[in-house]
Amino acid sequence: MMPAGNLARMVVANATRSPKHFILSAFGIVVGIGAFVFFLAGTLGVKNVLLGKVFPLDQVEVIAPHTSIAGKNLSQKLNAETVTKIKTRREVKDALPRMTLQFPATGFGKFEGQDIRFEVGGFTDGIPDVHVADDPKLKDVFKDWDAMGEIGPACTPQKGGIPCPDKAWQYCDRQDNMCHKRIPVLVSPTVLELYNSQIADSHGLPHIGMMEQFIAERGRERMHFAMGLGDTMLAGSNLQVAADKHREVGAILVGVSNKARQVGLTIPIGYVERWNREFAGDQVASEYSSIIVTLRDKDQLAPFSQWLQDDMKLKLNDSLGEQFATAMFVITSVLIGIAFVIVIISAINIAHNFFMQVTERRREIGVLRAIGATRADVMAIILGESAIIGVVSGLAGSLFAVGVGTLVDVASAHFLPKFPFKPDTYFDFTWWIFALALGFSILFCVLGGLLPAYRASRLEPAQALAAN
Amino acid sequence: MASPVISLRDIKKSYGSGDARSHVLRGVSLDVAPGELIALVGQSGSGKSTLLNIVGGLDKPDSGEVCVLGHDYAKTPEADLARLRNKSIGFVFQAFNLLDHLTCLGNVILPASFDRGTTNVEARGKEALSRVGLADFGHRRPGELSGGQKQRVAIARALFGRPTLLLCDEPTGNLDSATGAEVIDFFRELNRNDGVTLVIVTHERRVSTIAQRVIAMRDGAIVEGAEADTAQPGSTDDLGGPA
Repeated sequence: MMPAGNLARMVVANATRSPKHFILSAFGIVVGIGAFVFFLAGTLGVKNVLLGKVFPLDQVEVIAPHTSIAGKNLSQKLNAETVTKIKTRREVKDALPRMTLQFPATGFGKFEGQDIRFEVGGFTDGIPDVHVADDPKLKDVFKDWDAMGEIGPACTPQKGGIPCPDKAWQYCDRQDNMCHKRIPVLVSPTVLELYNSQIADSHGLPHIGMMEQFIAERGRERMHFAMGLGDTMLAGSNLQVAADKHREVGAILVGVSNKARQVGLTIPIGYVERWNREFAGDQVASEYSSIIVTLRDKDQLAPFSQWLQDDMKLKLNDSLGEQFATAMFVITSVLIGIAFVIVIISAINIAHNFFMQVTERRREIGVLRAIGATRADVMAIILGESAIIGVVSGLAGSLFAVGVGTLVDVASAHFLPKFPFKPDTYFDFTWWIFALALGFSILFCVLGGLLPAYRASRLEPAQALAAN
Repeated sequence: MASPVISLRDIKKSYGSGDARSHVLRGVSLDVAPGELIALVGQSGSGKSTLLNIVGGLDKPDSGEVCVLGHDYAKTPEADLARLRNKSIGFVFQAFNLLDHLTCLGNVILPASFDRGTTNVEARGKEALSRVGLADFGHRRPGELSGGQKQRVAIARALFGRPTLLLCDEPTGNLDSATGAEVIDFFRELNRNDGVTLVIVTHERRVSTIAQRVIAMRDGAIVEGAEADTAQPGSTDDLGGPA
């Protein structure tokens, strides 16, 4: 077998001597690989936005199916015991309860000079503070302060009365005339995105990019609002709370987390438990609305789901994320399938071109054999030429895809209106896509060149030299 | 006689099948001693080129024994045969067979592409070009050369590996008589000074004048009694039929 360096030099010289043949052979592969990279990076980019920001899939939510007979609610209850059982499963990394505020409540305050009022009852969840402990920006501020005894000193809520010393974090509670730490509130990226894309512009409010930066610029006080427990804006609420039991607490928006409720507010679960007990009774305060389960591996979702149904009579909350993931998988598969068809047709075209070239170059092959080339050398030369087409086509196809992708992003930025989670780029041109594209390009080109190379290597030198 | 460079025993070769079967060689036997210059003459279709190709390992006989430079072809693996062609046997063709996309020097050093052991490749290539009087033509392309110059580049390529056996298939067939004469003179010098064994398939009488033996072929066989010792120089009449 000829030395690799000599082979490389000969292959490059042969590949570049006929640009027409080279372009004819490479064109289809460039288009196919370009489509492959474009589709794969596109679906990956969109998937990142959908499953990373809109519907995070790293956790699943366990709920109890609603069952009732003759108006009597027979639904399975989610409680501390359920959490403990779920935690014993091998595939479960962690299980944390989520409890919804089950009585009427409203939120009100000022935001950027405008009075705002919104419903909180039914739209607020409590989660354990450990749930966000992995977020350094939240772990020290998202706490059940009352349960930790962070109460005092005494204060008077009336104007001109004794104020609380820490204006940023404390409020004066009318119930006990004591300073309490404000209830920390989280919102989801969805809420922030809905605010930015749907509310901010129409109300002349500022956009919020990084919440922490916004808070730092505006000050903690401007993130304050109050919660009216027992109060409601909705007529015909299921649970009426006597007016004399209504009370007010202070809250503060502390940040954004994808662990927060998709639409609504999220606070430490201790507050929700105590308030549910106070306003809706012990029974309600002992039942969780759902349990958030973190699996060790996403692939273990199916057996876990089966166990939930069979042994616990529970189910996973229908996740739009999963449905989107499935849809994305199907779309990606179809698009990549199309790209592969293009590449395979191109490989056939390469085979055809190389068959023609082998016929045209019979005499040259005969000369090479006469001066010392083995059959393996001839085969390596033809395969090397097809591999060169693969390398150049793979790179050109990848560049082509990045170029078209950039055009799409620029067009989207300039011509498409804002919408929730509108990304800066629709593509995730990660390194392994290019590596895969290059690998496939070389593979299919070499496959295309295989049969012509074999035929060339089997030519008897004397016959080859006799060719016109 | 020293051990022959070429030893052929009862070589038979045919092409086609059935009624269309053509017997090109009908039991050729031949020994060529080291340092001999042989002219192989005969009509077109007499089997000269086929015999030369079989000697060079470019074609295989249907039957018979071929032993060249101590290698019994029937027992020599394909890769070893390729190495033999690369290191010890040079070929010169009527149609030059230069690769047009390479320079003259590129063509001359092409055999080095298939050999790991060759050193000073470029210097040796230039030396080979210099031997054929084309020292300044290294960077030219074959398309820029005359027929005679092309054949000299082809000879330089054949000499690059410093072969002990040179097989030439009608090397002057595409050249005018003056240029052909130069090429033949070069072969004679090569044979005399370097001791290279040459087998030249030719129609040209001048070759027979420098050959130590002229072997005539007809209908796939060596014509008995037609072998001749060195003929008189000077004539350029054709031997045998047209090219």
